[in-house]
Amino acid sequence: MRIEKCYFCSGPVYPGHGMMFVRNDCKVFRFCKSKCHKNFKKKRNPRKTRWTKAFRKSAGKELTVDNSLEFEKRRSIPVKYQRELWNKTVEAMKRVEEIKQKRQAQFIVNRLKKGRELEKSEAISEVKKNIHLIRAPHAAKAKKMEEKMVQKLQEDVEMGED
Amino acid sequence: MALYNFKKIMVVPTAKDFIDLTLSKTQRKTPTVVHKHYQIHRIRHFYMRKVKFTQQNYHDRLSQILTDFPKLDDVHPFYADLMNVLYDKDHYKLALGQINIAKNLIDNVAKDYVRLMKYGDSLYRCKQLKRAALGRMCTIMKRQKQSLEYLEQVRQHLSRLPTIDPNTRTLLLCGYPNVGKSSFINKVTRADVEVQPYAFTTKSLFVGHMDYKYLRWQVVDTPGILDHPLEERNTIEMQAITALAHLRSAVLYVMDVSEQCGHNLEQQLKLFENIRPLFANKPLTIVANKCDVKKITELSEENQKIFSDLVADGIPVIETSTLTEEGVMQVKTEACDRLLAHRVDTKMKGKKVHDVLNRLHLAMPAKRDEKDRPPFIPEGALTRRKAMEVDAPKRKLERDLEVELGDDYVLDLQKYWDLMNKDEKSDKIPEVWEGHNIADYIDPEIMKHLVELEKEEELKVQAGEYNSDEESEDDEMKEIRQLAKQIKEKKKLKFMQSIEKDVHGPRMPRTAKKVERKTLEKEMSDLGLEMEAKDDSHYVAQARRSRSTTRKRKREPSAPPLSRTRSQSASRPPRDASGVRDAKMLKKVKMMMKNSQKDMNRMGKKGEADRHVFDLKPKHLLAGKRKSGSTDRR
Repeated sequence: MRIEKCYFCSGPVYPGHGMMFVRNDCKVFRFCKSKCHKNFKKKRNPRKTRWTKAFRKSAGKELTVDNSLEFEKRRSIPVKYQRELWNKTVEAMKRVEEIKQKRQAQFIVNRLKKGRELEKSEAISEVKKNIHLIRAPHAAKAKKMEEKMVQKLQEDVEMGED
Repeated sequence: MALYNFKKIMVVPTAKDFIDLTLSKTQRKTPTVVHKHYQIHRIRHFYMRKVKFTQQNYHDRLSQILTDFPKLDDVHPFYADLMNVLYDKDHYKLALGQINIAKNLIDNVAKDYVRLMKYGDSLYRCKQLKRAALGRMCTIMKRQKQSLEYLEQVRQHLSRLPTIDPNTRTLLLCGYPNVGKSSFINKVTRADVEVQPYAFTTKSLFVGHMDYKYLRWQVVDTPGILDHPLEERNTIEMQAITALAHLRSAVLYVMDVSEQCGHNLEQQLKLFENIRPLFANKPLTIVANKCDVKKITELSEENQKIFSDLVADGIPVIETSTLTEEGVMQVKTEACDRLLAHRVDTKMKGKKVHDVLNRLHLAMPAKRDEKDRPPFIPEGALTRRKAMEVDAPKRKLERDLEVELGDDYVLDLQKYWDLMNKDEKSDKIPEVWEGHNIADYIDPEIMKHLVELEKEEELKVQAGEYNSDEESEDDEMKEIRQLAKQIKEKKKLKFMQSIEKDVHGPRMPRTAKKVERKTLEKEMSDLGLEMEAKDDSHYVAQARRSRSTTRKRKREPSAPPLSRTRSQSASRPPRDASGVRDAKMLKKVKMMMKNSQKDMNRMGKKGEADRHVFDLKPKHLLAGKRKSGSTDRR
């Protein structure tokens, strides 16, 4: 029993799900759901269909080259069953999965960092330009001016008195 | 020599059937309609055709019978003799001869009547001639009834004869009835010959096949032979004799040591001596059967002497018991080896060998050093060879296990796996974990790679790649973000308001609507300006004033105006300077006015309301072909 990969969206195809299409040149295509199957029949290129993993990897939106990804691959030489090797492998698998997820998350965070910078500068410029919509620019100044004038008048009066 | 296949002889029909067959065929396959008034040659032709057709049919079928049945001179003498024994050569030849004569007679009849028909001058005459011809042909066939019946029986029996190849390696079993020949063949081959306590259970020859030394061997079981002279032998015994006489095989003369067959040893010996001439040029082995009942050593002195004499003669005597299977394999190997040796000898003595020998050359490589290089024979091959010589018991099959356990049987192929540790054979192997195939991760060096990966990860963590730097924001930035958010909301709000206002139709200028003091003060206070105690501010006064102009002023004698041009405009600013704060704003206002008129003026419009669209590409000038005239003005 194997969990295959969908040809179109690269998602898992569990046993009992999806469809398999065999072409005349003996190439086998597996699909996880009819959405992928229909898109394939429409001859759409999965590398250009934005929601597929193939697109994301080819457009650099997800981690592609990494040592943690080298662990899971189909090998052509079968290995005879040994209990301890299998046990070790299961343990190793769990650890590798952890590391892989961490690295993938970090990759995406790094990619989105620029966005955060842009956001910041946008906020600053927004505030600079349109602060007048929420605050009168010289409100405090006006008050101060007024007070100053009042003070000055008072002083003048005093001077006049003197 | 023509190769006959006894199973493919065509069915010989009975005389009646034959006639019916041919006549109905004639009726169906030739034209049926003829009239009196046809031209005579056409009538003649019609009837001649029928006669010839019938003749042709008979001829064809009879020739086929004649060719299908084997000619006794052409087949191997073994078969010729066998057929003679079974069917009587003379009778057989006679029957076929009769058929041949019948064929010729039919041909002649047809020839004659066709000749006669040439002189038939009416339809009736021709018809009668045809009737006569066909009648005669059919009578001839009727007379062959006996022959045809006999041939049909011969054909049926022939097709059921066992296929004995007279030229291949054969072991022939012979001896008195009931000595154990059929039991022997049952043990050695897969043949299933009937074994019964009465004599002459086996009534004809039986063939079984076995393998030895990678070769196919035939084992022929014969009916028992009794001891009387050749002339008195019946058909069944004669078959055995024929086989003995013609097949170049190894002979196994089976004797019953315990004398259970009903004949004592002297009689058996006497028979042996009688048929000894038939064993010339054939490797002979004596099989002392039923040794489980009585061994040779248990016999009396004189009987033992008989056997020792035979051994002294050079004929191996092997004790067997088909019941306990003791000695059976030994007999087999002995007989086969001797026959092979005999055959090789014969071939060597023949003339054909030299052709082959001339072309054979055994190359022995010269030794280049003293190192001994023996041939390498793997253990499996040796055990196999040993098993072949002694029929070793086969290993226990799954089927046997299934039969044994019955309902409890569960097919478990994992127990045959060839693993490093035997005790892991019955493990349940995990295949999938959390959406990943375990088989994709299996690698003998996975721990090494994992260690490297962990090291890498360590380095990365130390280098600080995984540190999130969200906390580097100071309060100022937070405040700015907060403000930006508020600005965005305010913008949205304004946008929604303006959409709600959405005026379909001519738009009134901003000044047409009166601004409420309350809304103005609220807006300004939202923006942060102080709006308390503004009762004497300009806008309030203005509002008061506008109200007051609606009331009529009291008529009072007024002072004459100083200058007429300024009479009304003392307190009211001119229209183009109303609402304008300062010169800078006036300049801007004038600029705005001019800008809004720019497009209009460029398009040569008379004013805002001028929406005339000029026909820049008149159809009557631009459509159509270029006829006489110029196109410099379009």
